[in-house]
Amino acid sequence: MLASIGKLNRHQEKMAYVFITPTLLLFAIFTVIPVVMALYLSFTNYDVLSRMDWVALDNYKRLFKDSLYWTTFKNVIFYSIIFVPLNILFSLGLAMLMNFKRFGIRLFRTLNYLPTLTSAVAAATVWIWLLHPEFGLVNNILGWFGITGPAWLAQTETAMPSIIMVTLWQSIGSNMVIYIAGLQGVPDYLYESAKLDGASAFARFRYITWPQLRPTTFLISTMAIIGALQLFDQAFVLTQGGPGNVTKTPVYLIYQQGFKQLQMGYASAQAFVLAIAILIFSLINMRINKAEEPVV
Amino acid sequence: MKKWASIVLTAFMAVSLLAGCGSKETDSNTTAKGGASSSDKPVELAFWGDWAGEGQKQFETMVDAFNKSQNKIHVKYVLQQDMITKFMTTATSGGESPDLVFWDRWRTSLYAPKNVFHPIDEFMEQDKINKDDFYGEALKELSYDGKLYGLPLTVDARALFYNKKILDAAGVKPPTNWDELEQAAIKTTKWNGSKLEVAGFSLADNGLFNMYLQQTGGQMLDETGTKTNFNNEKGLEVLNFWDRLLNKDKVYKIGFEQGLGEGTDAFVTGKLAMQYTGPWMLSTYKKYGKDLDFGVVTPPVGPNGDKGSVMGGLGLVIPEGSKHQKEAWEFMKWWAANKDNALLWAKTSLNIPGFKPAIEDPFFQNDPLWKPFLDTLEFAKIRAQHPGYSVMEDDGLIPNLQLFQQNKMSAEEALAKSQQRGDQLLQDNAAVK
Repeated sequence: MLASIGKLNRHQEKMAYVFITPTLLLFAIFTVIPVVMALYLSFTNYDVLSRMDWVALDNYKRLFKDSLYWTTFKNVIFYSIIFVPLNILFSLGLAMLMNFKRFGIRLFRTLNYLPTLTSAVAAATVWIWLLHPEFGLVNNILGWFGITGPAWLAQTETAMPSIIMVTLWQSIGSNMVIYIAGLQGVPDYLYESAKLDGASAFARFRYITWPQLRPTTFLISTMAIIGALQLFDQAFVLTQGGPGNVTKTPVYLIYQQGFKQLQMGYASAQAFVLAIAILIFSLINMRINKAEEPVV
Repeated sequence: MKKWASIVLTAFMAVSLLAGCGSKETDSNTTAKGGASSSDKPVELAFWGDWAGEGQKQFETMVDAFNKSQNKIHVKYVLQQDMITKFMTTATSGGESPDLVFWDRWRTSLYAPKNVFHPIDEFMEQDKINKDDFYGEALKELSYDGKLYGLPLTVDARALFYNKKILDAAGVKPPTNWDELEQAAIKTTKWNGSKLEVAGFSLADNGLFNMYLQQTGGQMLDETGTKTNFNNEKGLEVLNFWDRLLNKDKVYKIGFEQGLGEGTDAFVTGKLAMQYTGPWMLSTYKKYGKDLDFGVVTPPVGPNGDKGSVMGGLGLVIPEGSKHQKEAWEFMKWWAANKDNALLWAKTSLNIPGFKPAIEDPFFQNDPLWKPFLDTLEFAKIRAQHPGYSVMEDDGLIPNLQLFQQNKMSAEEALAKSQQRGDQLLQDNAAVK
């Protein structure tokens, strides 16, 4: 009896390896090897075509003196500080609105999800139009109220907020779906007993919904932070990093350095520092979210 | 360590290449090898370009005409959307190299030092091709370290486009110098409260700083070609001119043209009176602007009468990895150094060819829209030949010019910052052999 269980376990173990092998292989080829290569290349002067000599820490030394690289970090951090909380606020708010069981609610959910389905570049192209200072829809609407709208994408003050607006519009749909799933996972008896105890709607949200959604919020905020640090498409299409470098992002710079200037070694160093930054921010986020364990 | 790394890298690139390139290409390559061994079959050449749609048809017109003209060489156009990246991967992974590449010339000083192109000086000498038949600046742009790497197919430069209706209504003539340009811009601008309805002159493209600087008699880089040379009175003259137009005369508004595509282009829809642009816009304006009556003049001269415009354009180069360099040269010569064929190309693609004898044709000489460009090309200069030049412009100069235009920086500060950052970028991105 015991022996056959052992056999079964061994068999399951073997099968498990068979099943995970393809995924792990793909992961190794497309994730692990490139990361290791980037680390190695960041210590060389690799230029894709003719050179690859070991230059030790030269690329990193250059990186620390490169003011533009740190400007791009400042830009994405500014972006994240505004984007991540707003993203959580709007997607949770929408999810709570869309969580009622009413006739036609699915249609509304679908409509709210639609922006997520469009390609970032196509959506950004349309937004350039909407944000045009003289003929765009946004400024025309503002004009009805007697407000002269700014040149959204061309002014240093409004360029980054415009990008935040466009990326929010595009990302809250998918986060809303995740939040709806989270909300539907909260056990009803918690709400019922709270109601019996006379808890107000705000108290129910404060003490039941929000703590119960902690894992969901953790997932969404982590993804949003990673996405923010890797911002590229919208900044590339909407503003080309301008005006005055206020919307240039680290990924934009890596692309420029590697593929336009053929300095793959230096670009790899930039990419590696970015990867470490993402790791650090994710860890900080993890600590904040793990500070209180969820109830139940 | 190094060897191991390059093996892994090659393997990785090979994997990604397999995903990228279809099987078609391998087919044509095997036939190419077969063609080389047996003498009766024509040699197959792979010609890479990144023009799709209309451009692809234009290329194919040339390729077909060449294939019909003889039976020893057969050229095939291969459309590569991401041509430069693909070219780099084949150059490093030992894949089948193309035999000809359609080349944006300004990149030459970045790529040529890495020995990926075959110099054509010997071919030129053998076939006694006269260098004076080409625009000197265009050949210079295809050269590096005294070697010539290709022939120009097109040449372009910016000239002043103006809307005849708007200028006539305002009673002004097309400007010939900066003062006239300023006055014409003031007279053609129309504001409706805080809304700009017609802009007199476009100041959207800060990248044209180079051109204005030439009009003040300045140059972007100094004689050594390694340092910027605009933080001086000439640079200041340009910025003061821009400042006058933008902030005092208010002939333009930042962001005015952003996002207005082909069909809604501010110039086509009559919202812009004058702008600098190149011959590539002629066909668009003829196509989209049925009611648009426009003219072209050479760029107005600066305060001291200096002329200036920036020349650019495309060419053909032969990769070092090509197995049929001699045949590739035959095709290049047929296309770029033959009057009839250069003219066929010019008429097909509506571009100015790099081969001067073709330009003497009435097709160019008698057309009032081509003539100003031909005149401009006589004095237009190419961008400075430094591998870090474009990055210096993009990251060192233009961001500061944008801050200046938005009154976030004084002219002196903008130039000083551009110089400091620009010199650093030139140094960091210099070619190392």
